[in-house]
Amino acid sequence: MELILDRVTKQYKNKIAVDRLSAALREGVYGLLGANGAGKTTLMRMICGIAEISSGEICYDGEEIGVMGGRYRDLLGYLPQDFGYYPNFTAMEFMLYIASLKGLDRRFARKKSKLLLQEVGLECEMRHKIKTFSGGMRQRLGIAQALLNDPKILVLDEPTSGLDPKERVRFRRMIADLGKDRIIILSTHIVSDVEEIADWIFLMKQGQFIAQGTLENLREHYLEVTHVKEAEPFNLEKLYLFYFEEGEEKHDAV
Amino acid sequence: MMLFEWKKIFERRLNVVAMILGYLLIAVCVFVWISQARFYSAETDSYLEGIEAIHADQEWAKGQADIISEEYVSQVIREIQSHGMDLESDDAYVEIIRPLGDFFYFLAGSYTDMSEKYINRNVLMEIDLTDGAHFYERRMGKITDYLNMDFSYGNYKEAEKDFWIQKAENTVTPFIWGNKCIMDMVLSSIAIGFYLLFVIVICTSTVFSSEYESGASSLLLTTRYGKDRLIWFKIVVSVLFTAGYLSFGILSAVGVISLLFGFSGVNLPIQLWNSVIPYNLTIGQMCMGFFALILLIGITITLIQLFFSSKLRSSLATMAVGAAIIIAPAFFPMSKKSGLWNHINVLFPVRAANLKEMLGSFVSYTVGDCVISYVTMTMIVYTVIGIVALLFIKKGFVKE
Repeated sequence: MELILDRVTKQYKNKIAVDRLSAALREGVYGLLGANGAGKTTLMRMICGIAEISSGEICYDGEEIGVMGGRYRDLLGYLPQDFGYYPNFTAMEFMLYIASLKGLDRRFARKKSKLLLQEVGLECEMRHKIKTFSGGMRQRLGIAQALLNDPKILVLDEPTSGLDPKERVRFRRMIADLGKDRIIILSTHIVSDVEEIADWIFLMKQGQFIAQGTLENLREHYLEVTHVKEAEPFNLEKLYLFYFEEGEEKHDAV
Repeated sequence: MMLFEWKKIFERRLNVVAMILGYLLIAVCVFVWISQARFYSAETDSYLEGIEAIHADQEWAKGQADIISEEYVSQVIREIQSHGMDLESDDAYVEIIRPLGDFFYFLAGSYTDMSEKYINRNVLMEIDLTDGAHFYERRMGKITDYLNMDFSYGNYKEAEKDFWIQKAENTVTPFIWGNKCIMDMVLSSIAIGFYLLFVIVICTSTVFSSEYESGASSLLLTTRYGKDRLIWFKIVVSVLFTAGYLSFGILSAVGVISLLFGFSGVNLPIQLWNSVIPYNLTIGQMCMGFFALILLIGITITLIQLFFSSKLRSSLATMAVGAAIIIAPAFFPMSKKSGLWNHINVLFPVRAANLKEMLGSFVSYTVGDCVISYVTMTMIVYTVIGIVALLFIKKGFVKE
C-alpha cells in the first residue's frame, strides 16, 4: 500500500496554495503541521479527490487516483474541517446515510455504525438528533463516519478540535491503533497531538514542506538550523515556533 | 440513500411551510370558485349561489340544444334580433342575455372580429339571416382574416396560414353545446399549479447548495457514490417530489370538484371557450394536456433549480433565480416590432400557464418549411431545457 504525491501543485489564479509537493506514504500516521493558510487543507482535499490538482499527480499503488474514481473513494475515509451535519438526522441516521453513500450493505452498516458510535462514546446518543449535540460530540461522530468503510487511507482535517482532554487521549489511542495497517494523514494546530501520534511529520508553510521526518529527524533538524546545544530538551513546539512565530522572514526556506 | 434525500426535503421547516401554504392556496381557490358561483333562476326571479347555483346551471344547460347547428344558431339570432334592442343596455341583459346565459356570449364572441379586444354584443344585431347565420363559414372567415392581417411585428408566412387554416378546418363541426362550468373549474385548478411552482422553487433550491453551505459536500464527494449515484438520486427525488406535489395538489382539487359536481362537460369541444381555437380537442383532453404541460414546466424548473443549486452554491441565490424565472416574464411586454421576441416571450412559464388563451392565439414557429404549433413548441422547449440542465447538474456539483 503506497500513496505517492508527485510534484502536486494547486494554483488559484495568482496564488499557489500547494507548491510541487512530493512524498511517498505507506502504512502509518502522518501529521501535517502548519499555520493557517499553509496549504494543509488544500493538500488533504487533493488527496481526497475533491480539489482538482493543477499539476503533478497523486497515485495509489501506481494508479492515478482520478483514474481510479470510485475504487479510490472506496479506500478513503475523510473527516473534513468544520463539515456540515444534518441537524434533523439522528446520529444513527447520519451514519446510515454515509454508509449508504459508501456502498455498505444495510445490515452490515447498522452493525458497524453501532460499533463505531460505541467506540467514540456516542452509544447512548445514537437516537438523538445531531442538533442537540455539542461540538465535541459532533466531532466524534465525524470520526466515526470516517471509519465506516474501514478505510485504507484515512484523512483527518483538524480531528481533535472541539474534543476535551479526555476525548483527545481516547482519540490518540484509537488513531495509534488504526495506523498499524493503513495510511492516516492528519492535520492539526495542536503540536502535542502530532508529536504523540504521528510516525512522520510534515511541517508546511506557504504550500511547501519546510521540514519533514520522524520526531528524531526533526530534533536533529532543529539542532542544525538553530545551533542550540544538544543537551537542551527538544519538543516539536520549539521547531514549530522557530518557523511560525519567531521571525518568519528569516526562516522561510530551509 | 433515497430515503434520506426525501427526509432532507421534508424536514426543512421552510419547505413544509411553503408546501402547506401552496395547498392552502388551492383549497381557498376551490372554495371561492364554488361559493362565488351564481345562477339566475327565472322561476324564482332570484340568484342562486354556491353549490346550488352550479347544480341549477347544469340542469338548465340540459334544456339547451346539444348541437350548435346552423339552424339553431339562426333561430337564436333571429329571436335576439326580433327584440330590436341595444344589446349593451340593461334591459337587453335582463330580457335576452341573462336567459341565454353563456350561449349568448359564445355567439357574440364567435361573430366579433379577432382584432377587437372585447366581445361586441351588438354584432349579433347586424347579421344578415336571409341566407342563414353562416356560423361555421364565419368562423373560418374570421380565422382567415386574422391570418391575413398586417402586424407591425411581422405577418404570417404562407406556410403558417395554410397550417392554421387546415388545422381549423379539421376541427369537428358542428360543435356540441353543453355546460362547461365544471370543466372551467377543473381547468382553473390545473392553472393554479403554476403558483405551486414557487413551492417547488423553494423546496428544490437547497438540494445541492445546502450541501455546500453546510460543508457536507466535501464529505459526500469523497464517498463511493458521492460523485454519481448520489447526484442522480437527488435529481430523481427532486423530480418525483415536484411531480408528486403538483399532482397531489391539482388532482385533489379536481377530485373535490368532481365529487361535488361530477365531470360533466368533459367531452365538449374546446371551441366552446373560443370558437376560433384551431385545435381538435375536447375539454377533457385539453385539461389532461394542460396538466401534463404544468408537470413538464414544473419538472424543467426543478432541473433548472438543481443546476443553479449546484452551480451558485447558495440556496438564496438559487431561490431568487427560480422565482425570477417564474414571475419576471409576467412583466415582459409584447413587442410591436419584434416577432421573434414575442414568440420567445409566450414560451415563458407565466404565459404557458395561460394555455386557454394561448390556444386561440395562432402562435406558430417555422423551422425551414416546417410549421410547429405553440403547444408542440412549448413541449419541445421545456423538454430540451430540462435535458440540458440535467446534463450540467452533475458537472456543477462534482467540480470544486
